[in-house]
Amino acid sequence: MQNLLSPKKRNPKRIINKLKEDWILYLLIAPCILYFILFHYFPLIGMKLAFEDYRIIGDNVFVGFKHFNTLFKSPAFFKVLKNTVIISTMKILICFPIPIVLSLLINEIRSSKYRKYVQSVVYLPHFLSWVVIAGIWISLLSTSTGAVNQIIEAFNGTPVDYMTSKKHIRWVLVFSEMWRSAGWDSIIYLAAITKISYSLYEAAMVEGANRWQQTIHITLPELRATIVTVFILNLGFFMNAGFDQVYNMMNDSVISVVDILDTYVYRVGLANGQYAYATAASLFKGVIGIILISSTHMISKKLTGKGIW
Amino acid sequence: MKKILALLLIITLMFSLIGCGKAKQEDASSASGNTSNTENSSENNNETKDGEPVKLRIVMKDLSPSNPGDVKYIEELEKALAKKDINVKFEIVETPSGNYAEKLNLLLLGEDIPDIIYFQGGDKQIAEQGILEDLTPYIEKSEIIQKAMLPHNKKRMENYPYLIWLKPIKTKAPVVRSDWFEASKTGKALLDNPTIDNYYKFLKELKEKDFSGDGMPKYGLTVSGNIIELDSIFNQAFGITGAWVKDSEGKYVYGKVSEFEKEKLAFYHKLYKEGILDPEYLTKKWDTKEKAFYDNTVGLIIGSTGKVIDIYDGKMKKANGQEASLTVLPPAKGKGQGYLPIDVTKESRGIAISALSPNKELAFKVIEFLASDEGQMLDRLGFEGEHYEVKDGKIHLTEKSQEWFAKFFEVHSWEPTKKIATPLLSEPAVDSMKKAEKYYVEDTNFMIPEGFVASWDAMTNLYKEYSADIITGKKSIEEFDTFVKQWYEAGGKEITEFANKLLK
Repeated sequence: MQNLLSPKKRNPKRIINKLKEDWILYLLIAPCILYFILFHYFPLIGMKLAFEDYRIIGDNVFVGFKHFNTLFKSPAFFKVLKNTVIISTMKILICFPIPIVLSLLINEIRSSKYRKYVQSVVYLPHFLSWVVIAGIWISLLSTSTGAVNQIIEAFNGTPVDYMTSKKHIRWVLVFSEMWRSAGWDSIIYLAAITKISYSLYEAAMVEGANRWQQTIHITLPELRATIVTVFILNLGFFMNAGFDQVYNMMNDSVISVVDILDTYVYRVGLANGQYAYATAASLFKGVIGIILISSTHMISKKLTGKGIW
Repeated sequence: MKKILALLLIITLMFSLIGCGKAKQEDASSASGNTSNTENSSENNNETKDGEPVKLRIVMKDLSPSNPGDVKYIEELEKALAKKDINVKFEIVETPSGNYAEKLNLLLLGEDIPDIIYFQGGDKQIAEQGILEDLTPYIEKSEIIQKAMLPHNKKRMENYPYLIWLKPIKTKAPVVRSDWFEASKTGKALLDNPTIDNYYKFLKELKEKDFSGDGMPKYGLTVSGNIIELDSIFNQAFGITGAWVKDSEGKYVYGKVSEFEKEKLAFYHKLYKEGILDPEYLTKKWDTKEKAFYDNTVGLIIGSTGKVIDIYDGKMKKANGQEASLTVLPPAKGKGQGYLPIDVTKESRGIAISALSPNKELAFKVIEFLASDEGQMLDRLGFEGEHYEVKDGKIHLTEKSQEWFAKFFEVHSWEPTKKIATPLLSEPAVDSMKKAEKYYVEDTNFMIPEGFVASWDAMTNLYKEYSADIITGKKSIEEFDTFVKQWYEAGGKEITEFANKLLK
């Protein structure tokens, strides 16, 4: 592909020859390209709805920044924005390193049968829906029958209603997210670990490095590029603090601390049929995501020489 | 071999992508009922010019072209309509799984507008764009529909003439195990005079007395996540007679920021503090609420009148024996008495006809048929030989009838031509419907204008959180005044002015 686009080889005949030569490879990638164009790039045109009032009959009416003004003037907007930023920051700071640690730990398991068992167990929560997970966590944290509070009581502690406590609910969101995604997210790091040349470890062992030193001085530095890429890509979803999770775990007592941009847009925008308003909020989120990805990429390039491209 | 396999894989992937596009094109081509069949039909004819049935596109929750039962139902409906000289061929429009109101709105905004549309919310924005037909002139001409409409249906139709939904009044009523109710010392007094105090005494007894013999129930009552169900018993008694109530100066004030509300929240806090109200009510969902009732953890729950209470009764008897049938309790009596006031600003769900349909008259004839005796027979009872059998001049419901439910209307005045050997609903369910009628209170309310939607959301959330915190004791009842102040600052002042202009 690089050869094909190289300025030196822009001769149409060469391009055709190259296409003919590798036609099967281009054909293989064609459905993917088509998929992205159809389902990811083409719908971007619909973003113009953020600047219009939708009309089922006749043309949409251009209204400029009307929906953005409504969004930014809404009394709840800055509150939900603040919640989104806080919950996302907590999730990134706490949940992001866990899969790395988990992959390092799984990599240290010598018995392949036991490793497969551990992997299956930690991947499992990823396949559960948030409706089910919310049910599990509500039961687990119940003040009357929940295991957590029964343990607290066994140590003469006072039961805590974590689900309705403004102080604790964000932590419930973070830890339930961690429980669900840590295993699955560790796959990418495990794959990266298998790519590290074994000769590096052999050389370190000859020098007398123990397992800890090998992890710190070989595995982690070799994982740096993957970590940076995943981190930057994760930042792109910074404004998605987890609609399904929050929607299923929210209750009347904790609205002010867990109501995020997505749940707000769902209530005010989608449930009320205000699609242009919902599109404006999505566009706002998208712009923030792009800014975060680009700035982190640039900072990372300057500091570590690695980025996502 | 590898190349052939790769080629096959690519062809499959390409076809699946093209397939997605093609389905969309087909959808788009049939948008707005622009099919060749409908083009041939004329407004007042019951069939096309070439004698073929007129195609009517219909979208409805729980009506899917991939469900053989639904397809059979539609075929039976077509046959029954044909007998009345209404020749139609229905095309069921399938909505993707998920939230029906949301998916339906996306379908309509994508300019795919079926002739007959069932809404379960989200209709106001569509009606505002002129997509829905005003049903008033059709109803004026229809004796069947006029007869089937109850006073609340008529009021709703006057206020919002786009949706029709012929069902008995639906509200929420409290239910308790009959054997426990009869064994209680305070039950009789509650039934004779259901004051707030008598309710309190009964709920307290439910919590304190060992009715089951194994320490149950643990709590007097539970609700699913919020206090709406609890309000169904107590709101009227505390003086919250509607969404908007009059203050001492005769001006309208939002019920949830009134002094009555403060008094009510203090009472709810008392129930919570004394362990009468389930301490985990905030995290209860409808299923865990029901489970707590059937396994006797709580003594009383509140459910929708009619079919839902019928289900509660069936499940309770299955779990605890025939003697555990349910007793429906009246609402508390105080400043007023009634269950939750019935909102008459509009139908919250119902059937609409597309204003763009070339077959509006015909679509209305279908609606009219569904409200007629013949239509009700099919819609309420299902298929003869499958859901019911006729023996000795009586209708006997089969086991399979449990799976059947009316997809459209439940006309209040409808009586089958033959007597039904087994009643359609259990005794408590019928009683709940009678009580819903007896304690009918009309709401004083209006639809929140578009300009207030965002601030209304903020105000609603403010109430939800303050009320939950006051009930659970995280905030004292004195902080209710701070809530009221914040509510007015969040847009309450403007909406109250608007309410006073509108309601007068």
